[in-house]
Amino acid sequence: VQPPEKPLQAEEWNKLRENFQSPEIFEEVMLNSMIRCNSPIDVAKSLLTHLAKRNGDIAYNVLVKYLTLCVQQGQVSEIRDVYDIMKVRFKILESGAYNLLIRGLSNSNQWRMALAVLEEVKKIMIPSRVCYESCIKAASRHQEMKLAFELYNEMLAKDVVPTLDVLQSFFDFNRGMKGAELQKELFGILLYLRENQIYPHKTFMWSIKLWFESLPGGNWRGHLTNIKDSGQCPVCKHQLEDSNLTEEEYSNLSERIIRDVIHGTDTFRKTSPKELEAFQTFVENRLPFDIVIDGLNVAHIKSRRMQCENLFDAVNCLAKENARLLVLGRKHMLMNSSNWKREIMEEMQNKADFFFAENISEDDAFLLYATLRSGKHCKFVTRDFLRDHKACLSDSLTRHLFRKWQRGHQIVNTLYKVQKKCFPYFFSQQPALRYDCVVQTTGDTWHIPYKNVFEEKYSYQVPRKWLCIQQK
Amino acid sequence: MQSANMLLRRIVGRFVLPFAAQHGMKKDLFPLSRTLSLSLRLKQDKSCEPSEKLDLDEWKKVMKSGLQEEVSETASEPKELSSLAAARETLEMWRLAGRAVPENISEEQLKTFMECPSKSAKKKYLKYLYLKEFHKKNDKRKMDEKRERRLEAQDQYSKTDETKKSPFVCLWSRTMDKAYNWRAAQSMVFGQPLVFDMSYEKEMSVREVTNTVRQIVMSESSNRRSVDPFHIHFCNFKDDSLYHREFIKNYRDAWDKLLITVTDQCYTEIFPKDKLIYLTADSPKVMKTFDHDKIYIVGSMVDKSIKTGVSLARAKRLGLETAALPLEKYLLWCTGAKNLTLDQMMYILLTLKDTADWEKALEFVPKRKYCGFVNKPVKELKKTLDLINTLKLGKGREKVEKQFAKNYPKK
Repeated sequence: VQPPEKPLQAEEWNKLRENFQSPEIFEEVMLNSMIRCNSPIDVAKSLLTHLAKRNGDIAYNVLVKYLTLCVQQGQVSEIRDVYDIMKVRFKILESGAYNLLIRGLSNSNQWRMALAVLEEVKKIMIPSRVCYESCIKAASRHQEMKLAFELYNEMLAKDVVPTLDVLQSFFDFNRGMKGAELQKELFGILLYLRENQIYPHKTFMWSIKLWFESLPGGNWRGHLTNIKDSGQCPVCKHQLEDSNLTEEEYSNLSERIIRDVIHGTDTFRKTSPKELEAFQTFVENRLPFDIVIDGLNVAHIKSRRMQCENLFDAVNCLAKENARLLVLGRKHMLMNSSNWKREIMEEMQNKADFFFAENISEDDAFLLYATLRSGKHCKFVTRDFLRDHKACLSDSLTRHLFRKWQRGHQIVNTLYKVQKKCFPYFFSQQPALRYDCVVQTTGDTWHIPYKNVFEEKYSYQVPRKWLCIQQK
Repeated sequence: MQSANMLLRRIVGRFVLPFAAQHGMKKDLFPLSRTLSLSLRLKQDKSCEPSEKLDLDEWKKVMKSGLQEEVSETASEPKELSSLAAARETLEMWRLAGRAVPENISEEQLKTFMECPSKSAKKKYLKYLYLKEFHKKNDKRKMDEKRERRLEAQDQYSKTDETKKSPFVCLWSRTMDKAYNWRAAQSMVFGQPLVFDMSYEKEMSVREVTNTVRQIVMSESSNRRSVDPFHIHFCNFKDDSLYHREFIKNYRDAWDKLLITVTDQCYTEIFPKDKLIYLTADSPKVMKTFDHDKIYIVGSMVDKSIKTGVSLARAKRLGLETAALPLEKYLLWCTGAKNLTLDQMMYILLTLKDTADWEKALEFVPKRKYCGFVNKPVKELKKTLDLINTLKLGKGREKVEKQFAKNYPKK
């Protein structure tokens, strides 16, 4: 329905209502379309007046819709009136109305009232992150930094995840401000990004850069750059953090992989205790390997060719550098079939160690175990993202560790054709990243990876663009 | 202030009544077909004349005035609410805001609601309660209608006054029950055993256990009604477990009179190992024929959160043979998981037992999960599947094709 342009009399509303196909929801539909068209508030008021006269009451959801319209147009006095009415009418409100109230009030000069509403919300439930966002922004807009940080810390303490907008607003509103305390809080936010492996987007990155450069007496300079594969920053010639895990992290991760991924709730689900034991003794006797290959994954690279040929190419390619290889496969590969020729298999077994799991066992878990047992230098080859195994890890900290380790140790094999010729096939080894892709600092430099908002980013991809900030 | 408000309220109250009467009268005066043009004209008229009559903030007065008394009452109450009461209030507000929230909620349900770990869990639980309430109401309404119709029919019937001539006393359901029980009793002596493995309680949530038990109840009843029932065994059944409590909720007194074997022993202790076959969708082996000498085991588990390989792990641990239904061999699979509900499984097994006809048995697989039976070469089927998908979906064809390639690998 098209909302009218001018306030209507009661009779006119009645007419409209009668013509509407389902008169029971006429008011709701009408208000919805008013919100959509951003109609003048007087029109909505006239509808409410008509409604109040007819029923002697206005339903809560209609009030909330009217409130939405008021918030949308920033009609502060109206918002206050509605709030007063609601407060007398209902003991408590629900989250939708609270969100609206806080949003509406925080954008006005009566933003302190939004804080009062927030206190009220806290009595009943955990406020949503939108509530906190509005209040924090309002506080920082009015230079109440201490209050803003209090709210921010309270939010973190309640496990409410802050939006990137909030974090960005801290940098925006603190530009050029003095104070060691403030600086420390903002560094804290950068460390929050680091701990949670969050990458800021481009505009956020600009806020950070401008804030650093505005620091009085700090002499900070920011540059946008790309980091080389070696992990050296071309601007400040500083070496980025290693992607290797620390000893403790490493042993922690391998322990958790064995416990959560291989054993899980039931060892029989992915393998059997007997097989696991056999595999463990097999690996212990032949340690350490340099590269562990997921045989079946590599074999399926090129579907037109025989599967064992694919694997053969891979093994040949990787064996050249005199590396110790381990290929994981399943027992069915040993059966002489159209895809798995016995001669080729035998030839391969001279070049690399093979372990064949049962056909119904999961070989990925073995892949992880063998690589981790071999030590930090060992890499593994598979196209699999290993998401399902990551999901088996019980806490997010270990999952982050896993991802970091995976970034540093997984070789993604892709075949590509050398100009027109179909043969020979080469392995392009996507280099495992040598440096760690997180926000990092040495005290007088900061390196912050960021993403373009428009480029697609999958969870396994890391941004290649960096902001380098150094103190002169 | 108060008195002024009261006065205002009285005025408004007086205003509302005659207005409603007027309104009703008008409705009679103008036929509906003409109202549209009329309202248009009215609107135009209005744009010319000033709207000085319209008090836009009148609704606020109405809203506030109606409240004064209530407020004075509530003000004396203690302001702090207990957490339960607060939850109830919140629910009420959500209901007013038009969310999917049940009208009535019991204390127990409210506690479950508060124990939900996250906001989305709460929302889900409320929606579940809301739908449950909705269906209940609908059913009740239908029952009432039916009763009315029956009463009417009875009235008419008594008027016609026709005597019924039949050699049998009308006792159908009881006689049938007797016959069924007789068969079930026979099956307990001579019938082929069918095992329900009741050891999955730990893997499931409370909802899933409830669903499992409902499915088993349905399978038991279909088994009892069949021509040649299985001898049902509940193995690994612990007394006073969640399963047990749910069964009692479902069967009440009949639980002790059921013609099935319930035991806390494992099937491996009752039957020879080489005769057991564990049915699981994860099995690499596909069932070819139904064997009347084997004892099939069905895992009593509803798996809503995807836990693959749980029952396969159990069979592996005990060193049992496993089998999966040949769904891909006979059906052109479209969507959905290949694990079927327990009652569907029961229907399929019963049909296989009676007829050994796979096509007939697999009729019980839900129709939404497959496009048709495989009765032509795979190539032709692919064409029809493509056609169906382009017609039905338009896009997402690649995904379907990939699925197809996985299900029917090139030989």
